[in-house]
Amino acid sequence: MTGRTLHVDLGSGTGRILDDGPAFSEWLGGSAAATELLFRHGDPKGDPLAPESPVIFAIGPFSALFPVATKTAALFKSPLTGELGESHAGGRLAMSLREAGIDALVITGRADRPSYLAIENDTVAVKSASTFWGQSATATDRILREAESKTGRKISVVRIGPAGERLSPMACATVDGSRHFGRLGLGAVLGSKNLKAIVVSGTKTLPLANPKEFKAVYDVLYDRVVRSKEMKKYHDLGTAANVKPLSMIRGLPTRNFSQGNFEGADAISGERFAEKFLVQHTACAHCQCGCIHLAELREEFAPYHYSTNRVSYDYELIYAMGSMLSLSSPEDILKLLLATEKQGWDVISLGCTLAWATESFLRGNLSLEETGGLSLSFGDGAAYLEVLERTAKGQGEFYRDLEKGCAFCSGKYGGEEWAVQYGGAEPGGYMTGENFAVTCMMGVRHSHLDDTGYSIDQKLLNAAQPLEDQVRAQVKEAQWRMVLNSLMICLFARGVYDEEVILRGLDALGLEWDAEKLQTMSEKALLRKYEWKALCGFDHGSVKIPEKMYSVQTATGLMDRDSLEERLRLYREYAGLKS
Amino acid sequence: MAVQYLNVVNRDQCIGCFSCMYACSRMVRNAGGSGKAALRVKGYAGVEGAFSIRVCARCEDPDCAKACPTGALTPAPNGGVRLKKDLCISCGACVKACAISALQWDEEERQPIPCIFCGQCVKYCPNDVLAMTEKPEGEDRR
Repeated sequence: MTGRTLHVDLGSGTGRILDDGPAFSEWLGGSAAATELLFRHGDPKGDPLAPESPVIFAIGPFSALFPVATKTAALFKSPLTGELGESHAGGRLAMSLREAGIDALVITGRADRPSYLAIENDTVAVKSASTFWGQSATATDRILREAESKTGRKISVVRIGPAGERLSPMACATVDGSRHFGRLGLGAVLGSKNLKAIVVSGTKTLPLANPKEFKAVYDVLYDRVVRSKEMKKYHDLGTAANVKPLSMIRGLPTRNFSQGNFEGADAISGERFAEKFLVQHTACAHCQCGCIHLAELREEFAPYHYSTNRVSYDYELIYAMGSMLSLSSPEDILKLLLATEKQGWDVISLGCTLAWATESFLRGNLSLEETGGLSLSFGDGAAYLEVLERTAKGQGEFYRDLEKGCAFCSGKYGGEEWAVQYGGAEPGGYMTGENFAVTCMMGVRHSHLDDTGYSIDQKLLNAAQPLEDQVRAQVKEAQWRMVLNSLMICLFARGVYDEEVILRGLDALGLEWDAEKLQTMSEKALLRKYEWKALCGFDHGSVKIPEKMYSVQTATGLMDRDSLEERLRLYREYAGLKS
Repeated sequence: MAVQYLNVVNRDQCIGCFSCMYACSRMVRNAGGSGKAALRVKGYAGVEGAFSIRVCARCEDPDCAKACPTGALTPAPNGGVRLKKDLCISCGACVKACAISALQWDEEERQPIPCIFCGQCVKYCPNDVLAMTEKPEGEDRR
């Protein structure tokens, strides 16, 4: 990994290769290296949708070399939260970037007309997307796979749907088959640049510094990936396996976080989806696990005439479009997911916003006049499908606002107490207790993936633990994930990649790291992200949890204000943040 | 040992992870990445469709060798082909002649990549899609 960075300026339509070696040698790669590039190229005070606002993609030293190092990091300024935007996606992008010889891709500027970027090894072209601007994310993939197909070559296609073109701050960017830079609005940032898609392909291979040791480390990892039970669960039922157990412990957010056990959990469980709808597993490039679960949705559009679509599902999707909306029919959920996939929305932000709207309507905070005569009620799948259609068409002010997220909508229409968002970002599907709430507030991406709060909460159900130890474990995990996310290892393989094997792997690639250097880097990388957030105006001392959350039963009971305060104080202290 | 064929025995179990291609590049050619693999996993009917795996058929009278204008690619005694690298003029006629698109092209070397039937790809397939067999088997192999 040499830090070979491709800078593309869409304004002039040109690309040039720069050496960003130090960012990679000092910060490992991926997430941490991209943070440095964000400091260098981004203006934390700037408008996230301004032409000069950069989007930075980065891969890590293990990309395309070791198993399950499948992720690419995207960093940008988030139009949803107004601070650090960071989202990770799998698919084939990391492989394609690596085989094109690109460790990081920095995109700035705005194209003068709808465009897409085609990168093939060292060749960069900005091409017209005028003929398919307005097309769904799925159609765009079909179009570009044909237009850019190369004999004997695998390509990766990143694209936005119409939601990104409309600059919805909850628009995602979709990668290859149903993988997503889902969170924090990358789709809007690409849309603001008139950039419909990025196609990457490469044909380069990488010389191995120490082939013998490289193969030995590979075999250790391969064996763990294929045989360990930690990864088997992702292959078998996938993350959807969590629906039933989380509901059983009151941790599955239901009807806008009103309760954690959903009476329809069995009907929308991973088991039920697998038995009735699962038709195929697929994998990101170089992942032998294959956690992508594809359901088949068959709909009768006229008597005895059927359409069939494949829809990818996962736990978070079933939470956002299922239990949150009180939908216990997998078909209803799959229809909503298909509409979401086509438009290119972030399903978590969208599901939470629909749930907020429903509660607002039921409480009388939203009128029929505002909803254009449409009654919103939990459990009404047809109504939700209609809401998505009106939102996609921008039919009326309310529907145009809906795709701006919970924080925006509750600021405008009221109902902030039950608008479930933390620092502007809607949470993942866990109602486990205070550790998770702290994750949502303090996590650098406001993501359940930032540390392991929801998992610590669940462990408390078996054995009590001093509060200090819980927070310490959380911060330690947040720091450790800086390492995993800079190597760009899929977090599903976090049990596979321990420190020892990581150091062996780095050594086999001729990269000089030791345990102490890794730890120092991880602590500093976390602080660098807080630093950038602070420059954007984010105050980690003032982020709040929605008032409603104090009055609902989580898996670990009611949340306590004083206890949460103490947790936040400790989190800042352990992470080394000044309060 | 009897002549071994590389067979796609469970095509519909393929998840498209490319582990076989990475294994071939890594184990046979000492290269990181997937660009030097002698086989190919293709997606068709959209990326979410089924996968099609193209492996060398070990032809006794190979079309690829017949298409070679310089004698660089020649039939091997037990089927399949061998490459004399210094005779290859990088014309690509061999790859075009393989109707099942099994013969792969090394974009860096500008030469074909003949399969040596070593079975490394089989070893690194997590879903038993590939197998080494003594005879070519089945009618739905690609």
